[in-house]
Amino acid sequence: MPDRDVSLLRPYLLTSGRTEPIDRNLEIETQVLTSELGAASYAGLSFERRDIVALCTKTMSVAEVAAILGLHIGVARVLVADLAALGYVVVHRPIAGLAGDPAMIERIIRRLEAIS
Amino acid sequence: MKPSVESRTPTPVKIIIAGGFGVGKTTAVSSISEITPLRTEAAITTASEDVDRTGHVPEKTTTTVALDFGCITIDDDIKLYLFGTPGQDRFGFMWRDLARGALGALVIVDTRRIDECYPAVDYFEKAGLPFVVAVNLFEGRLSHAVADIRWALAIGDHVPLITFDARAKLSVRDALLTVLRTTLERATSQ
Repeated sequence: MPDRDVSLLRPYLLTSGRTEPIDRNLEIETQVLTSELGAASYAGLSFERRDIVALCTKTMSVAEVAAILGLHIGVARVLVADLAALGYVVVHRPIAGLAGDPAMIERIIRRLEAIS
Repeated sequence: MKPSVESRTPTPVKIIIAGGFGVGKTTAVSSISEITPLRTEAAITTASEDVDRTGHVPEKTTTTVALDFGCITIDDDIKLYLFGTPGQDRFGFMWRDLARGALGALVIVDTRRIDECYPAVDYFEKAGLPFVVAVNLFEGRLSHAVADIRWALAIGDHVPLITFDARAKLSVRDALLTVLRTTLERATSQ
C-alpha cells in the first residue's frame, strides 16, 4: 500500500473500522467527563482511549479532546461515543431547542454584557 | 488515577464564526476566548450527491479542514463555544454538525473579498440559523459603504450588518451580542 494512504487509513484502525460514532449525533461541543468506572479502568485501556480517560478528569468538549490529543474530530467523536457506551466517560450533550428558549438566551446575553 | 472530583458539567452552547480564509475568524475567537484557541481537524469527503447550483458536480475528494475554537464560561451551568470554520467548505458533515443546535452565527466579511462569505450566508439562510454579517475593519478603514455590502451580499433587512474589529475584545463581544439578540428576536417571535 502506498505511504500516502496511511494517514487516511489510521482513523479507521483506531475506531475498529467504524466510520460513524455509536451515537452519530454526538455534538462536538458535548462535554466529556471521566466516570469513576473509567478512572478505575484506566490501566486496562489502551492508547487513545486511555488518553481520553486521563484527560477528561477535567470536563471538556469533544472538540478539545480532539485538539489536545491531535485526533481528527471525527475520530474523537467515535472514541468518546465508545467510551460513553462502556460507561468510562459521562457525556453531557447540548440541550435540544435551547436556541428557541428566550429565557436562556437572555441569560447568556446578560452574562456576556458583563464581560469587560 | 483519581476519579473526577467535579460533580457538575456545564451545558454547552455554541455560536459559529464563519468566513473566508484570513478574514479574522481566529483573531476574533482569540480576542474573547478564555482559553488559547485550539485547532482540530476534520476529514471532509465532498460527496458527489451535492450538486452545486451552477450545475458543477464536485469530484469526490477527501480534504482536511481546520476548525479553530475557543470558549467563554457564561456561568456555572453554561459554557459558550465559538467555532471558527472556513466559509468555503459547505460539504461534508462539518457544516451540518456545526449548525445543529447553534444559537446563531457570525459571518465575517473582508470587503476586499466579499465573495468568500457567500457560501456561509447561503448556508445559514437555508438552514434557518439566525446570523449576523460583520465587516472586519482592517486598520479601522471601511473600503465600501455598508449599504453597498448589503446589496453585494443580497441579504435582507432582517439580517443585521455590522462593523467590528476582530482584534478588540469588546468589539467581538458586541458582535456576539448582536448575534444573540437576533436569536432572541427569532425565539420570541415564534
